[in-house]
Amino acid sequence: MLFHVLLAGLVALLLTPLSPVADAAERIHLGPGPVDWQGDLSPIASSEWSYDRAAHLLERAGFGGSPEEIERLAAMTPAEAVRHLVHYESIDNSHLSAFDESNVHDPGLVPFPPSRPATTQLAKENGEALGIKVKPSGNRRLQPVVNKFFYWLRASMLETRRVSYWWANRMLATQRPLEEKMALFWHGHFATSEAKVRDYRKMLLQNETFRRHATGNFRDLVVAVAQDPAMLYFLDAGVNIKGAPNENFAREIMELFTMGVGNYSEQDIREAARAFTGWNSDDLTFVVNTGQHDDGSKSFLGYEGNFDGVQVIDLIMAQPATAEFMAAKLYRYLVRQELSPELRGDLAAILRGSEYEMKPLLETLFLSRDFYSPASMGTHIKSPTELVVSTYKKLGVDDVPGIPDFNLVVTALGQELFWPPTVAGWAHGRSWVTPGLLLERGNFARAVLFPDIDFIARDRYQSSLMLREVHARIKQGFDISSATLPGYGDGGMMMAESNMMADRDEDFNTRYGSYRGWQMAIERVKPLPRHTARISLSAMVMDAGLRSTEEVVDYFLQRFMRVPLGETERELLVTFLDGELGTSDIQEAETYLEASLRMLVHLIMSQPEYQLG
Amino acid sequence: MRSKFSAPQDVTRRDALKAGLIGMGAAGALGLPPFFARAADAMVKRHSDGHNDNRILVVLELSGGNDGLNTLVPYGDDAYYRQRPTIGIKPDKLLKIDDHFGFNPGLVGFERLYKDGKMAVAHGCGYDNPSFSHFTSMAYWHTAAPNSGEEYGWLGRLADAVRPGGASNYIVNIDATQSLAVRSRDHVPVVFDDPDKFAREGFHSQQPLFHHVADANGAANPSRDFLLNIAQSALDASALVRQAWTDYRSPIDYGIVPLDLPKIAALIHADMPTRLYYTTFRNNAFDTHVHQSNLHQRLLTYAADAVAGFMADLERIGRADDVVMLLFSEFGRRVPENTSLGTDHGAAGLMFTIGKPVKGGHYGQFPSLTELDPGDNLIYTTDFRRVYATAIDSWLGYKDAPALLGGDFKPFDMFA
Repeated sequence: MLFHVLLAGLVALLLTPLSPVADAAERIHLGPGPVDWQGDLSPIASSEWSYDRAAHLLERAGFGGSPEEIERLAAMTPAEAVRHLVHYESIDNSHLSAFDESNVHDPGLVPFPPSRPATTQLAKENGEALGIKVKPSGNRRLQPVVNKFFYWLRASMLETRRVSYWWANRMLATQRPLEEKMALFWHGHFATSEAKVRDYRKMLLQNETFRRHATGNFRDLVVAVAQDPAMLYFLDAGVNIKGAPNENFAREIMELFTMGVGNYSEQDIREAARAFTGWNSDDLTFVVNTGQHDDGSKSFLGYEGNFDGVQVIDLIMAQPATAEFMAAKLYRYLVRQELSPELRGDLAAILRGSEYEMKPLLETLFLSRDFYSPASMGTHIKSPTELVVSTYKKLGVDDVPGIPDFNLVVTALGQELFWPPTVAGWAHGRSWVTPGLLLERGNFARAVLFPDIDFIARDRYQSSLMLREVHARIKQGFDISSATLPGYGDGGMMMAESNMMADRDEDFNTRYGSYRGWQMAIERVKPLPRHTARISLSAMVMDAGLRSTEEVVDYFLQRFMRVPLGETERELLVTFLDGELGTSDIQEAETYLEASLRMLVHLIMSQPEYQLG
Repeated sequence: MRSKFSAPQDVTRRDALKAGLIGMGAAGALGLPPFFARAADAMVKRHSDGHNDNRILVVLELSGGNDGLNTLVPYGDDAYYRQRPTIGIKPDKLLKIDDHFGFNPGLVGFERLYKDGKMAVAHGCGYDNPSFSHFTSMAYWHTAAPNSGEEYGWLGRLADAVRPGGASNYIVNIDATQSLAVRSRDHVPVVFDDPDKFAREGFHSQQPLFHHVADANGAANPSRDFLLNIAQSALDASALVRQAWTDYRSPIDYGIVPLDLPKIAALIHADMPTRLYYTTFRNNAFDTHVHQSNLHQRLLTYAADAVAGFMADLERIGRADDVVMLLFSEFGRRVPENTSLGTDHGAAGLMFTIGKPVKGGHYGQFPSLTELDPGDNLIYTTDFRRVYATAIDSWLGYKDAPALLGGDFKPFDMFA
């Protein structure tokens, strides 16, 4: 047996002396540089470039890559590779299509009231709301208005999930990975949630703003975000008016978006809020309501003047704290969690020196010895989006599968795109992984390699038991009141207050509206494709000319892992594959490889080390 | 970091039950047994070292800055209505508990707990130089160390003190991400969200590999070591948690938003060795800047339904004497209402300590509504760490609370 394997290996070497595996195996040994590279921003030399380092660069400046994509970068000089990734504007991306609208919006939905009670109140006062008139007489005169209210909540939510799919496909298929990687950074930085915005059009517009400014000028980006309809709504611009400033945006722009806590006073927040008064959006357009703008003198960060919002942003940019805060945050996202005050100061100086143009900083980072030091390489815990997109890339999948559902996966893993948990965005680093989430990450890999055969699309299926019961009873001819009585909590137990208080306003029925709105929404929103991933691991093995189970394990470890596995763990995988195939000779097992290879890759992707990039 | 405890010598059926071993017959028959050797770590350590081994603390965080003044309304104080002409809740709408205070109309569940003598309200809870940032203030509450940069959470430090070296499953944090409050030097808190999904899915032949976790090699790649420790914790806890959840059936109605409390009841019911549970009303929900009245009342109803349901469930499973619950928020809200029918970030707020062992009533001094700080905020009267000290010392029986909390915060006489 051993002889047989050796012979096979020898034959392979003789027949293909320059096989990609042997070639890559030599270069992969040039992994992390010496320890003293840590903190050193000077660029690495061309002679210090390798396959492994190119793979590292692609993980951080994008979402990882297939061996072929890594080879292409490795064939350049490091300076060329970094330039290629950072100065991407000339790279053709025309194969990516624009978002395919379902056309669920109509003018009657503008402006959309802040809540259901506000909607019915408006309808009672005006005789109509959301473009729907109140019925002149009869039972539940406001019901159509309430239905329309719930229709839009659901339609916008479902359409936002389609936007999320569209974005995930961009991340996977783009020729400009850094553009999407930075758009994702800005989404977490200027975290705005559909949960409050409730308008996919605004979320999409904001996403396009993040992409347009992804690696541009930070100051211009902050101005664009401050004038972005989604952000204006999210942080209550509409109620920030002269004489009655609302501090929500003014606080967050300083605390979370630019300077960080501790670099301004409560007084600065109040004064900045005055400068932003009157800023609002008219549906999808930024407007300044001059009548609501406080153009009086403000005292802000030690300056006096009749500042408006843009001037406040420029004063913020002039603060050293801003460059420090942003340089450190970018560094943590792209390189590693820990950085020394000296390094932070050096990076901030670059950002200030370029007047907040971000490309010089990005180029310096990606070329630096620090970036290729042991503290940086293979120490980044991938975000759920990074994990999912890089998994598809490495599996050679060319579009995001419908099963498993991308949105359900990233939600379960803790990063639901367009629904960040708070205005502070997602906490990165170690907070991505808990015991529960580590298992979920392995289960994601399984769901890709061995997809569920009983998958039910959530955009076609109402997960609320209550609404399913309403549907069943309406079909059976129940009247609306009876159909919408809560059916759970029965059995003589005390019913919770919230269930007892279920809406009983005679003008409308909230539960029915919620149900009917769902029905209306799924009629209009286009369905997501529900294909599973088309993967051929056997083709990878055969194309690479692999002969033994050891070679196969090493090939997949190299393809999927950026951190080497322990020798014991590697041995366990080889033994496992031997057992599944009933041989260690790949030629012998050629006709039935696929399922066993998938089990092997599932095991590799379930390793704690697979979370590192 | 991983626990190196061996199984206690006096393993009884009761111990085995506590570790969730019995009742696992079905799973065992399916061929899962090898890693149950690990469950030895999950055994309750029987030798008490000064603290009470059976007592459990459940902490529920109301994130976003709950408006304390509209939660328990000081309707006897005219200043309240002067400060809140629009969103102030009229006396006839309130659920009055005495001649000065009434609960928000949404808090039927709290009214009942209070009148049953199971709820202690600590007034004016806050700290010096309050932060008005959600994230900063919450970090202060999580670490119980304002303005210090403390690295570990107060519950994490408590676990380290009571169980030095760490023990499996001592801290459970039900959430999508781990809270700073449970961050510990020696313990790896069990953090999960959905117990049904707290499981490794895979083929039978893959199981041995799933039950193998490499040894952390120390220092070379700290991220890798971290992940290996997490993997070990997942292995130690997931089967126990899943089984507990499968075995749990409750007729109690926890309301529309049960806040993960049924999951905690299930684990308590299964006699998990967990002594510290942490969960949150998530996503900054209580951040009510605009049009707050309906929304706030609804949030409070959800919270009160879930808490009242949990307490009823504890009675049902016979564990009401063993469990105390602590509720807090990172700050209260500003005393005067804003112009958007809401309230902005404020300072002092309310803390609730709830449970059968609690001596119900008011604790601490209600802060003045007329003498406010320059930003129109309540001036705190109770350092929030007094309530933590009460839980640590008077409830859990750990006597060196001052060392944990970095100061001598006098516990309230809150337990019968």
